[in-house]
Amino acid sequence: MEYSFTVFRRRICAGIIILSALFAVVAVRLFVVQIVDGKELRLKAVDQWTRELPLLAPRGRILDRNGVVLVDNESAYAVFVRPKTVEDVQKTAVLLSEEFNLDCEKLLKKIQSNVSEYTVKRHISDEQYERVKSFGLKGVYFSEDPVRFYPYGDFLTQTLGFVSYDNAGQSGIEKQYDEILKGKDGEMLYETDIVGVEIDGTGASYLPSVAGLDVTLTIDYEIQQIVEQTMQIAYLTHSPKRAECIVLDPSSGEILAMASKPSYDLNDIPRKNVALLNSLSRNGLIADNYEPGSTFKILTAAATLEEYFNGNPRAFSPNYVFNSSRYRTVLGRNIKCWRSHADGKHSNQTIKEALNNSCNPCFVDMALALGKETFYSYIEKVNYGSKTGVDFVGEASGMLIPEKAVTDGDLARIGFGQTIAVTPVQLASATASVINGGKYYTPHLLKEVSSQKGVRVQTVAPEVKRVTFSEKTSKLMASYLEGVVSEGSGKNAYIEGYKVGGKTGTAQKYENGVIAQGKYVSSFVGFFPSDNPKYLALVIVDEPEGQHYGSVVAAPYAKTIFEGIIGVKKINKT
Amino acid sequence: MFKKKVLGNEKPRGSVVTVKNRLIERVNKRRGDITIPIVVAIISAFGAVAVYSAGSYTAKKNYSDEFFFLRKHILGVLLGLASMFFACLFDYRRTKKAGVPLVIVSAVLLSLVFVPGIGVESYGAKRWIGFGSFSFQPSEIAKFAFVFFTAGYFAKYPERVNTFKGILPVVAVGGAICLLVIAEPNMSVTMLIGGVMLGMLFFAGVPLRRIALFVVPLILAVPVLIVAEPYRLKRLSAFLDPWASPKGEGYQLIQSLYSLGSGGFFGVGLFNSRQKYLFLPFAESDFILSVIGEELGFVGVTAFLFLSLFLISRGILVAARAKDLYGSLLASGITLVYALQVIINALVVTGSIPPTGIPLPLVSSGNTSVIVFSSAFGVLYNISKNSI
Repeated sequence: MEYSFTVFRRRICAGIIILSALFAVVAVRLFVVQIVDGKELRLKAVDQWTRELPLLAPRGRILDRNGVVLVDNESAYAVFVRPKTVEDVQKTAVLLSEEFNLDCEKLLKKIQSNVSEYTVKRHISDEQYERVKSFGLKGVYFSEDPVRFYPYGDFLTQTLGFVSYDNAGQSGIEKQYDEILKGKDGEMLYETDIVGVEIDGTGASYLPSVAGLDVTLTIDYEIQQIVEQTMQIAYLTHSPKRAECIVLDPSSGEILAMASKPSYDLNDIPRKNVALLNSLSRNGLIADNYEPGSTFKILTAAATLEEYFNGNPRAFSPNYVFNSSRYRTVLGRNIKCWRSHADGKHSNQTIKEALNNSCNPCFVDMALALGKETFYSYIEKVNYGSKTGVDFVGEASGMLIPEKAVTDGDLARIGFGQTIAVTPVQLASATASVINGGKYYTPHLLKEVSSQKGVRVQTVAPEVKRVTFSEKTSKLMASYLEGVVSEGSGKNAYIEGYKVGGKTGTAQKYENGVIAQGKYVSSFVGFFPSDNPKYLALVIVDEPEGQHYGSVVAAPYAKTIFEGIIGVKKINKT
Repeated sequence: MFKKKVLGNEKPRGSVVTVKNRLIERVNKRRGDITIPIVVAIISAFGAVAVYSAGSYTAKKNYSDEFFFLRKHILGVLLGLASMFFACLFDYRRTKKAGVPLVIVSAVLLSLVFVPGIGVESYGAKRWIGFGSFSFQPSEIAKFAFVFFTAGYFAKYPERVNTFKGILPVVAVGGAICLLVIAEPNMSVTMLIGGVMLGMLFFAGVPLRRIALFVVPLILAVPVLIVAEPYRLKRLSAFLDPWASPKGEGYQLIQSLYSLGSGGFFGVGLFNSRQKYLFLPFAESDFILSVIGEELGFVGVTAFLFLSLFLISRGILVAARAKDLYGSLLASGITLVYALQVIINALVVTGSIPPTGIPLPLVSSGNTSVIVFSSAFGVLYNISKNSI
């Protein structure tokens, strides 16, 4: 076939068609990429065009009930480098390593590495910040990096808790109310090139941070201070494992003070010794169980009176005189009083006198007379064996033999506070409900949440969980316990003219199921004024050396605390 | 012996007369198609603006001079326009015998790429010859040398299109150039030259079944070539799923898609590309179309493609109107090189074919390319001037 103009023309036409078709393919592809997928691609692209500098949300402060700042923020900075934007690597490494006492070689390597950002030092002070800034190093950046500051140092330590390096709540209130305190970090967005160099003339855009909220606690700074000092003295005097105290307002469940010694300065947390930190920062008042001993008798007596007034024929009357023997035999085993009855001091006692003397056999009688069903109903009413619901991380619930499994022998011992374990906050709250007119208030620490400018966001009202006792029983119990202090085993807490009521407690400690010789938990729960209780304190000295009776080791400190309160609150004699 | 059937010189038969008459009516014989150099100048000017915009930040970062690429590019454009002017005046028929020497020179230059000290390696490929600060890509010359050779050969022996033996020299020369280029390695230019070869065989009138005889082995060769070089396989898989390795092999393609996608319909505005801030590699050269797409949007790129298509259609018209077979084949070859390169480049930046480094003719930074293409369009104009 010869090449003809016709063929050529046809092929030229075909060529135009093929090329146009290819161009059409290109146009379709462009349409797909630019228009159909455009939005999605744009979103992904925007992501790589910007670098963010976090704008830290100021963490909320923690205040006492009267506005005293217990936890604050101190301004500090973090210094970091973006290696690709550093101009003079050598100079930068030398100056920064000298300023912060770092290994120059190491820093040099980091600055020369491929990382996009390297944090040189955190929590540097204002002065350091100013100085490093004055070096005028390119590629060195700063960001706010505030440090939590505790103006009173070793103060309310276990309750306040601490934060991580990044100001995230790790324990105590800091953890409990982290969500409220932390706020929401903002961002400053810079338009940058691929290595993070800011593009000229593009200004930053702000996504402002939302400040955390202030938390006002029910804690009273003045009372807390008294309690801190008193417990420190108790700790130094008796060299116990721990000396601790909780003060609450029986008429609302508000916790006014909580202190536990030994302790540490929150501005100098022993982070290097994790075991030590764990033990020192544990709030045993809420998180640990202990055998209460005689302070538990308050419940046994109150339950008996309440049942008697309700017409329960098995319950003893206030006038009933108990058998004076030192022993009670339950299920073939002898249970004896802590004291020899030979001198006649524990003879012919009524309930009131049994409380004064803290005579064990009488409480065995009371518990057994009520029977496990009735007695357990009171135990449960005052929240023994279950969490109080206090707003604090890690609350323990105590240890109570299940009603089904409890024997008369157990019941008899529970009557005077053995074979049962409670947390201090349980005992304080339960006792409060006995003497405050018969209302169980949920113990709590949060009083108010407000903005850092003072606008109230949330107020916590006292919550009556349930009614536990009648007014009559409550009044009678309060007067009986006032008697314990004025004429019974609680004499060491007596303050002339202030109607202090209370009960001592001394419990032997068990180790691996057997009594540990010479190891006691000495305690005293007291309150005043008994006719309208406003302050209730539970002092616990765990394993005191030497003297171990609650009346000697714990009661005097309750007195010191009450006297302190009377002083700072200027309470008049009645 | 074979001096027969030169188009336009002999009395045409039958229906061809009407076509020819119509063409004569429409075209002034004496004047060439002036739109060709005008459009080339417009595209070059547009290219200079695009090179400045796409490369200003990289230039500032790497050479502390945001006009670095622009300066270089303007030099190329000026040299290109000058050589185009010269080519416009130079009678294309005097190049009839230039094909063989051009192919020989190209082969030598392509071989020099592998000579240490002369060849310049960049990104794992030896594609450049360099003397000091001056460097150029021999493959840019080779593809046009092949066009001159093929046009000259078939013009001289038009009936050889009908025998296997007859077309063998063309295929052999094309194959040899392809081999030298693939050895650099430069897959995209190899594909381009292969495509131009097929196109020219087609336009020269080689029967389709004979073309198929070459196409089939070429298609079969593609998988072999891909497997031969591991980086090609990687690129292919990156092309199939760029998001599998957004920081590795898929990076370039993803960045190109980001650019185009950010442009949307109307673009972010001239000079406002964000991707040029070092995100998109080769923004001022092989991927300049992405930046154009980002700044001027779908509308802008499409407008540019129409301008290119216009130039191509003029080129094909020149081929159709040429006085002789040599002019026809030369015009169609030049147009093919331009058209295929634009298409390949556009398909690469839109992620439609695996990424290969090939500049957008007359627009991308790279002076060899600018000068050679400008000159080629000058030749095209000269053919149009001497048309029927």
